[in-house]
Amino acid sequence: MEKDKKEISIIHPRPSSIVAALYTLRDLNVDVAILHGPPGCSFKHARLLEEDGIHVVTTSLDENGFVFGGHDELVALLGKVTEMFNPKLIGIVGTCVSMIIGEELHDAVLEANPDVPVIEVEVHAGYRNNTKGVLFALESALDSGIITEKEFDRQKILLEEATMVEKRHGAASKEYLAPSRGDVKYKVAQRIIELLKEGKRGITIMNAKKETGYMFADITVAVNEIAKQLGVESNIVNMANIDDTLGLPRVRHHAKCIMDDFKERGIKIHHIIGGMDEYPIAGDIAGKLIEEKYSDYDFVVITGVPHAIPMESISGMEIVSVTNGPRQVLPMKEMGHDHVIVEIDLHPKTLGVNNIVESEFGATLREVAKEE
Amino acid sequence: MNDSKKPKIIAIYGKGGIGKSSTASNVAAACADEGYKVMIIGCDPKSDSSITLLGGKRIPTILDLIRKGVDITEDDVVFEGYNGVKCVEVGGPEPGIGCAGRGIIVAIQKLKKISKVQDECDLVIYDVPGDIVCGGFVAPIRKGLVSEAYVLTSGEYMPLYAANNICRGLSKINTPLSGVICNARNVSREEEIVGKFAEEIGSDLIAFIPKEQIVQDCERDGFSVMEKAPDSEIAQVYRNLARAIMSRNKSVMANALEDERLRELTR
Repeated sequence: MEKDKKEISIIHPRPSSIVAALYTLRDLNVDVAILHGPPGCSFKHARLLEEDGIHVVTTSLDENGFVFGGHDELVALLGKVTEMFNPKLIGIVGTCVSMIIGEELHDAVLEANPDVPVIEVEVHAGYRNNTKGVLFALESALDSGIITEKEFDRQKILLEEATMVEKRHGAASKEYLAPSRGDVKYKVAQRIIELLKEGKRGITIMNAKKETGYMFADITVAVNEIAKQLGVESNIVNMANIDDTLGLPRVRHHAKCIMDDFKERGIKIHHIIGGMDEYPIAGDIAGKLIEEKYSDYDFVVITGVPHAIPMESISGMEIVSVTNGPRQVLPMKEMGHDHVIVEIDLHPKTLGVNNIVESEFGATLREVAKEE
Repeated sequence: MNDSKKPKIIAIYGKGGIGKSSTASNVAAACADEGYKVMIIGCDPKSDSSITLLGGKRIPTILDLIRKGVDITEDDVVFEGYNGVKCVEVGGPEPGIGCAGRGIIVAIQKLKKISKVQDECDLVIYDVPGDIVCGGFVAPIRKGLVSEAYVLTSGEYMPLYAANNICRGLSKINTPLSGVICNARNVSREEEIVGKFAEEIGSDLIAFIPKEQIVQDCERDGFSVMEKAPDSEIAQVYRNLARAIMSRNKSVMANALEDERLRELTR
């Protein structure tokens, strides 16, 4: 079969499908995820996920395991984690090595026979789009009756959209993208305050991917706090993808937590533009809303996945976007975003939390406002 | 005995079941009889390359010991067989489990680390499985261990087809071919067909081994022909082949034939 010529060959390492499967298992609320592979595989994310409250362990296949297989190791580890953590739901994730040598995850599960459901994900990191890892995890969850067919279909559409968003203007849009720290936060904070002081009208759009919302929400909060201080609160319209009736269990929980925090801080979200896993499609909803109601607004502050908001609806405004991806700066500048800010190391800080956490840009806004 | 200081390190490739191990062990024994220091390294997970040099006995394999976590020394894995031939078996996982190819890579690296026997030999034979199904099975060549490759075939179509494919593979990894050996299966015009094949790919037929029941009989008893029936005619054939290999210094980048031509050849 001829290779799709439209596909560019991306030469910087891409998010891993194995890791994507791990995060999906977390969203399905597994208590333990077992990596069947070498001890170094997905190390950093395994650590992060432990911060997020699930146990991530590995069969630690070594050179012997590569040659002789790791069936016994997997059976033994299934027994061990059942005893140690008393889990209600277990996930097993394949790795490059275990998949290449043809390990059968299911055989090990049958032999270990734990009395809780096990989601087996046969995945390696050799897929172009890491969303494959999510898909495989969801397929397996569907097979084990953990999610409904309806939820599966919904997720599948979202994954396809997410892949498209990344291809269009995201980190999969170019062969190589150098990381960038983006614009200086201090200057951009000054500019937003200036706009508010001039009585300009602005929109905040939080279009965040799942738990990253805990920090992006802080920017919505900060902008509103300052508008309030300046007495121009009514000039701001807030949108956020925090529908707590949509998505996998943990994702709904995040939406609810963030919503509660907004309420507590007196922030009114005028439009809920979707669930926290709907960042690939919520941008379109925001775009339509703007076209219908707010097309004459002066500026927009977009956080999370800003490149999913269609440019047609906001091109007349001054655009401030906040991302956590250093490789997202260049594509967004090219789209025409005026100011692009990076929240470095956002993700680790949003794992294992249930409340909005302070962002660097939010903190900068508050400090600059004090000085003025 | 060898004029050059460097040992001659060869591998014999060919379709599975065509007689690589029999040929390898008889050549090893014949060379030992000639006074050469010889080593045979079996790279098949079945670990049966050296069995007829050891009176039908099996030896512990490198991978067996690695798996057990033994701190391996030369004495644990290098065994002396018929007439001083050093025998090593790489071993491997059970069929259908793990990765035999990776096993070969790991084992030959281990062997290189713990043993210098190869450097002291005149002839080292890597007995490699017939089907080069993945990178591990050509590791002895890729890792620069093997300096000469031979192809073993009969005059039947399928073994020739496999031999032709192997030649293509060898050229792809820039390994020259040192000769073609015919292990006869008593098909019509066999010597002529294999001779022609050798010529057309740019190499030579360096030996024609007739099909003799005695080879089987000796193997069944756990011996090489050289040990059990040294006066047989077939023993003389192996002796000649051994001399041919030891004196051979011609190798070519093989030109694999088109499928069509190969079929024509066997008609």
